[in-house]
Amino acid sequence: MVHNFNRRQFLGTGALAGAMTTMPGWFEGGAKAQSAALNVFSPLPPDPAPPGAAKFSEEAFAKWQADNGATVAYETLAWPQLHDRMATAFASGAAPWDITYNCGWVPEFESFLTPYADNLPKALVDDLPATSFATTTVGGKRYGAVFTLSLLTLFYNKELMEQAGFKEAPKTWDEFKACAKEMTRDGRFGFVLNYGDPAGIGGTASYWMVFLQQAGGKVYGEDGMPAFKSDEGVAALQMMVDLMPSTDPGSISYAGINDATNVLLAGRAGMMMNWPFMWNAGNDPKQSQIVGKMTSAVLPAGLKGSASIDGTDAWTITKASKNQDKAQKLIEFYLDAEVQKRQVLDTGWLPIRLSVLADPEVQAKAPNAAVVLEQAKHPYDSFVTADYNQVTVAIGTEVQKALQGSKTAAQAIADAQDAVTAIVKRRG
Amino acid sequence: MFFVAPALIVLAAILFYPIVDSVLLALQRVQLAGGAVTQEWIGLGNFTRLFSDPVFWRAALNTAYFSVMEVILVTLISLGVALLLNHPFGRSGFFRILLIIPWAIAPVANAVLWKWILNANYGVLNALLKSLGVIDYNQVWLGTPFSALNFLLIVDVWKSVPFVALLMLAGLQRVPQSLYRAAYMDGAGPWQSFLNVTLPTMRGVIAIAIVLQTIWSLRVFDLVFVLTRGGPADATALLNFLAYRVTFNFLDLGYGSAIANVIFALTFVLAALYVWLLWPREIKGAR
Repeated sequence: MVHNFNRRQFLGTGALAGAMTTMPGWFEGGAKAQSAALNVFSPLPPDPAPPGAAKFSEEAFAKWQADNGATVAYETLAWPQLHDRMATAFASGAAPWDITYNCGWVPEFESFLTPYADNLPKALVDDLPATSFATTTVGGKRYGAVFTLSLLTLFYNKELMEQAGFKEAPKTWDEFKACAKEMTRDGRFGFVLNYGDPAGIGGTASYWMVFLQQAGGKVYGEDGMPAFKSDEGVAALQMMVDLMPSTDPGSISYAGINDATNVLLAGRAGMMMNWPFMWNAGNDPKQSQIVGKMTSAVLPAGLKGSASIDGTDAWTITKASKNQDKAQKLIEFYLDAEVQKRQVLDTGWLPIRLSVLADPEVQAKAPNAAVVLEQAKHPYDSFVTADYNQVTVAIGTEVQKALQGSKTAAQAIADAQDAVTAIVKRRG
Repeated sequence: MFFVAPALIVLAAILFYPIVDSVLLALQRVQLAGGAVTQEWIGLGNFTRLFSDPVFWRAALNTAYFSVMEVILVTLISLGVALLLNHPFGRSGFFRILLIIPWAIAPVANAVLWKWILNANYGVLNALLKSLGVIDYNQVWLGTPFSALNFLLIVDVWKSVPFVALLMLAGLQRVPQSLYRAAYMDGAGPWQSFLNVTLPTMRGVIAIAIVLQTIWSLRVFDLVFVLTRGGPADATALLNFLAYRVTFNFLDLGYGSAIANVIFALTFVLAALYVWLLWPREIKGAR
């Protein structure tokens, strides 16, 4: 029998099919009706990403989804775009995620998040450094769990350092400057960093905060007002200025850490501050020309000792999530000891769990873990606030002016303090 | 009216509503602080804040320099390119296809391309100039305020020339040949023909090109975002980038809207000028 299928019937069938697809669960069987669909907002590797978004623990991740009746979908973005995507999504009330990555932005997005970390199992919490909750706690409530021990440490090219006459990494500012100066030869530079973007963690201002703490200073006083127009603030910036003749001049134009990392891995610079992921990248022949020559050390001490900043990479759960319990379970899976171990072995991002950091296999594969743990004994405050981006742009822009020589360190710090004071006062 | 109603509704939804909402936002203190959106009417407070904000003035000056230089360079280069393409030797389709490539590249891809060309360590520009003996060591093209702003300008000129050149080529091809023949008969040389025939006839096209290019130069964002992030030290912060940074990075939605409204007002005036230039007119004395 020939069935005539005219245009009216075609349109009608199409409309019916369209209507059916809009009905929730139409194509899903009864068994899957209870399953939860979790949306996770994550950085794109090589920045720290979870199983499924990065290549590790993929089998365990598939098993977790099957066991928990959950499907996990990732939205991944390059790190520099994460904050603004979250800001627009939250502000418009259209954030589609159950779990979001956070990096020092917890105070900023606090009322869109749920303080789930207060309910994490005690055994897990006891295995995390207590200080790891510092940047995710607002008003005494814990909104996130840090999933990687991520402090800046000094990475350096041993071969270039030996050629410059130094047997070990510099331990003080004076040694640091002398070492950088001696390493600057034959078209290479002693130091490289990305000073191009003033904002955020890993921006120009945050690097100055490292030196500030090494000098014994703080960004804010007890009253919450900026307190860095001080000898320590100026000394920190002066140290950065003093390093400039030995710093790759391209540093002022590198907007991301990867730009600076590439210079070190090409053997064109001797030292840089970087995050722990650098270890794997530096020892991967596909990415690095200094395989076997790179090592890491605690950052050189300033007037008051060594100090760093915290990368504060954490998982948070949105208030709008309809699957709060499953979302917390997924984060607990991300923090599972075996997953944490694979995280460091396969991606280079260190675990946050103390038991995993102490694992001999981990210490053998990531010798820098011991260095990061040692660095963690010194201050590593990132001074995050609800207006962190605005504050870091104000400070970072002045730091850039000093690095370029258009202002003295003292002038730049005084102007930065004025700018941040105005921001804090506007904050109210 | 009935037939144009759907179009008017769509226009109202996608054009008028955002404009009105943006103006209303600019009259409020709207901040996403601590996760909560706070709104408070402050009248012209955001606009008066503009006057005392040194970063705004820096961005305004950068934008003014960028726009003026871009319009001058794009107009002159495009006119030159159009004249070459209009020459019998330049009429091959190959040249026109070659010309259109920079314009056809997606804006962000174009910016990334130039990011690598200008890279201080691995950039093609440094390698080329070193191999030609022009420079002895690598230059940081985006490292100083003057150099960074001017390289942004060069990159945007490179991208903008093709369209304007084609616009001018179309204008050139509309110049009646009889005028050139008459000028020749009057003893005019090539330069005099250009000054007294080509330029006056193309006045309308050139004016449109200038207005369009000014509008486009006010909207530059992708290059700044990818290449410099406004740095070093706000040297390449243009108004459009500043509006983005204040709105989405600082989450100061009211103040960001005020900056965006300044750009809108400038663009609106230029667009009105553009419409006026294109408006059909009766020639005096014509019946």
